[in-house]
Amino acid sequence: MTAVATRHGPNRLTGLVRSTPGRLSLIALLLVVTSVTVGGLTGLSVQSRSGALEELATRSEPLSFAAQEVYRAMADADATAASAFLSGGVESAALRGRYEGDIAKAAAALSIATGEITRNPELTGALSTLSGQLPVYTGLVETARTHNRQGNPVGAAYLREASGLMRAQLLPAAQEVYRAETVNVVRDQDRAGSWPWSEILLGLLGLAALGLAQRYLTLRTNRLFNVGLVVASGVTLVSLLWVVVASLLVVSDVSDSRTDGTAQADVLARARIATLTARGDETLTLVARGSGQSYEKRYAEVSGQLTGLLAEGQRLATTPGVRAAVDSAVGNNQAWQEAHRAIREADDKGDFTAAVSVALGADPAGAAAAFDKLDSDLVDAITQARKTSTTSVAAARGTLTGSVVVVVLLGLLAASASVAGVWQRLKEYR
Amino acid sequence: MRLVTAIALLVALVGCAPVPSTTPDMSVGSAVPPRPADVVELTTPPSTAPNQAPACDATASLRPTAALPAPGAMPAGSPMEKIAARGRLIAGVDQNTYLMGFRNPSSGQIEGFDVDMARQVAKAILGDPTKIQFKVLTSDQRIPALEQGEVDIVVRTMTINCERAQKVDFSTVYYQAGQRVLAPRGAGVTGIDALGGKKVCATKGSSSLNNVANAPSKPIAVAVPNWTDCLVMLQQGQVDAISTDDTILAGLAAQDPYTEMVGEKFTQEPYGMAVPKGNEDFVRFVNAMLEQIRGDGTWASIHQAWLGRLGEAPTPPPARYRD
Repeated sequence: MTAVATRHGPNRLTGLVRSTPGRLSLIALLLVVTSVTVGGLTGLSVQSRSGALEELATRSEPLSFAAQEVYRAMADADATAASAFLSGGVESAALRGRYEGDIAKAAAALSIATGEITRNPELTGALSTLSGQLPVYTGLVETARTHNRQGNPVGAAYLREASGLMRAQLLPAAQEVYRAETVNVVRDQDRAGSWPWSEILLGLLGLAALGLAQRYLTLRTNRLFNVGLVVASGVTLVSLLWVVVASLLVVSDVSDSRTDGTAQADVLARARIATLTARGDETLTLVARGSGQSYEKRYAEVSGQLTGLLAEGQRLATTPGVRAAVDSAVGNNQAWQEAHRAIREADDKGDFTAAVSVALGADPAGAAAAFDKLDSDLVDAITQARKTSTTSVAAARGTLTGSVVVVVLLGLLAASASVAGVWQRLKEYR
Repeated sequence: MRLVTAIALLVALVGCAPVPSTTPDMSVGSAVPPRPADVVELTTPPSTAPNQAPACDATASLRPTAALPAPGAMPAGSPMEKIAARGRLIAGVDQNTYLMGFRNPSSGQIEGFDVDMARQVAKAILGDPTKIQFKVLTSDQRIPALEQGEVDIVVRTMTINCERAQKVDFSTVYYQAGQRVLAPRGAGVTGIDALGGKKVCATKGSSSLNNVANAPSKPIAVAVPNWTDCLVMLQQGQVDAISTDDTILAGLAAQDPYTEMVGEKFTQEPYGMAVPKGNEDFVRFVNAMLEQIRGDGTWASIHQAWLGRLGEAPTPPPARYRD
């Protein structure tokens, strides 16, 4: 039984391949396989691009924003707590409200970031530091507040401990999360914005197969065109063009979302964090009362970074809205630095009360007003840049809608048309 | 039936390694108590132990040469004249030691016994106790601040001893304190001798830290930047006791009714005002000022205002001079 099969099998096969109808059947089979494979693989490529876009729009970008918000809210809470302490007496309702708002925002953003712990297991340590130490931080601030209300100077020590915890553990953990999420954004943008080489290659492969089949039929049958194969080629070409055009539109949208959106938003977010850090250092210099050189040194450092980041923001700005907001931020930063010089001058001269009033007072030329305006300029610019980015990504997602289905259907259509075309010739051998 | 067994066998063969579910690790969220910044647990006593300096009579200061000059009429070329020309005295004080030098949380102003003493110096030079700029110093910043000329004078619970007298000049003793122990009420701590192997907090660069580290009962010394940091650690259960001068401890005990001062004074801590080394005329001037406030009741009224709660007689320590 087996011996017979081995003896006759090859002969039958070669016989089939040598006969013209056999060859035609084989060609039909190959064309079906090629068309379906090309359609399927192209569909998969498009699906992967669309998946990357979905990941970008629904996960990595919102998560990177959440991580940035965690950092920002906590840094602001720390600076606000120090201001409330510096102002003396019972803190004002406005400062208290700002602190409470910051903690609420940090907790809300943290719960979003923590929800992704299974996807980023390497962030487990940072995220559990954040969710574990944030309540400890607020507990210390409340203890400081209670002592402050009772007139006990130990309140200041609790505030220092809280601030130390924030700077040594919470902010570095938040920074780690933000960095990891930013890397994810870049990765998803790279995946969604890659050039459609594989799609082009697959489409050309399909066309080449159809062309070869056409050439064989022309040589065999002396007919210039085979209608089925022409239709199949046309369909494959349409599919290729569709995919290439859609992919290039996506590539352009993703590139827009990068240059007009996330690249600016990242620089501006870093500028905002530098703003908050500098404000905290400015306040703590005064709290330390004459022994705050280390804070003042860091203020100078961070303030230099801030100026650099704002200049970079100006350079990167592509939309008039963002440019206007960043220009205004640059102006307010200069006003703040002038106010800071006035603070240092007054404090170094020994006029502590004047220094505190420039730092915290409601005077429009004071540091508090300039800082608030700078912060709201940056919020404005970040919001606009983010909106540009999400709009571009949404447009890209819209472009790819239905593409997978179309590509697969066109692949099946090309396969059917090829079979029909070859069948026409095959019928002549009956 | 055989088919089912075969399939089961096949499944068992093909599915080799078990695929675990990915449950996030929840064991990492252990409680790490917060600590004040820059806490150091000492394993060996600080290198600058007081007994390394040669023995001396440190509390004997320089005798005032003449009567106190009137404010605004300082001798030409003296450090006081420079201060008068600047228009304010720069004094190194504390803002974390309740009753001695502390920031009043309701006003934001620095107040206390040491602060009022420093204001007396400003008053003597400039005629106005408010013409003064405070620079807040931690214990270990006191001597460097004087050496680098950042402050004119340090009035900050500073014990006169021979080691420090080599680096700065001291006035006569303006307050006589002594080191005791502050412990939680009912913890069974009776004094420094009962603290062997226990953690005892003191500030960096203070003579109290040396005394704790060198105590015969061998407590574990824990060093922090400020005295209030010690109280934070005591309240958070991270140290068993605080040991320093009774004046400072009284201020800490006043902020926490669940603590009490225990044991006898086991050291003598004479406080002096410190000025940069080599300012003899400034030292003599300050001593003349101290003579004056000892006699006219100013010292007693400042003592009553801040340290009356210690329940001791408001008698200034007598001045001792070496020439």
